Amino acid sequence: MAAVSQGFKTDLLGSIPSLRAFAVSLTQNADKADDLVQETLVKAWDKHESFQPGTNLKAWLFTILRNEFYSQMRKRGREVQDSDGIMTARLAVHPAQHGQLDLKDFRGALEQLPEDQREAIILIGASGFSYEEAAEICGCAVGTIKSRVSRARTRLQEILKISGEDEYGPDAISAQVTGSNAA
Amino acid sequence: MLEIKGDMKDMTKDTMAGAADRRRAASGDPLGPNSEIGRKLKQYYDELVSDNVPDRFAQLLSQLEQAEPAQKKD
Repeated sequence: MAAVSQGFKTDLLGSIPSLRAFAVSLTQNADKADDLVQETLVKAWDKHESFQPGTNLKAWLFTILRNEFYSQMRKRGREVQDSDGIMTARLAVHPAQHGQLDLKDFRGALEQLPEDQREAIILIGASGFSYEEAAEICGCAVGTIKSRVSRARTRLQEILKISGEDEYGPDAISAQVTGSNAA
Repeated sequence: MLEIKGDMKDMTKDTMAGAADRRRAASGDPLGPNSEIGRKLKQYYDELVSDNVPDRFAQLLSQLEQAEPAQKKD
């Protein structure tokens, strides 16, 4: 086996913050997330020869992390995500104050999404991947990613009681939210 | 077992971050800056990304490096 290059090692190190963020998004648990990142780094190291320099390392690593996550879930049998009940406590969502959604409420809403929808909306809306890249990472069709993102967004709006942003636009929304608080 | 899809190799850096961001910066993006969900999503994620990385990961990579058979390293 060829030695791992310094460049590869440096790139791995640089990817860790993103990997941790994605891992927390998937597992909704900081400890499990770091274990997942550790597994991902070991696997990436072992398989470094299958990575083609010049291609998207972040996408490659996210794919490894995601595969590892789902294979662990299968092994354990699907455990309930919220085994601690910590998350549930956060779920009481109140109408946004001052037109600003509380980040805690948002986190609680995100936790309620099915994994496939949550990962799709994270990859597209936060990690900066294109629909095509997200489809590669998740091993599914672009259309599937699109529909998952759309369902995730609708569900988040329902949970957070945000009216359809499509229909009214951002100005109408903030007017609505601040208006209801002022009343 | 872990399998990496062969198609992944076709991804080039050109298709990365920049292009997706630019596309999404266009108006009408349901998760763009005009969307409350889009803004919160980024805030949620950015907070996670900016979290301090524990030392264990740098240590892990050093261990992996030391465990490698003695070969020339470029």
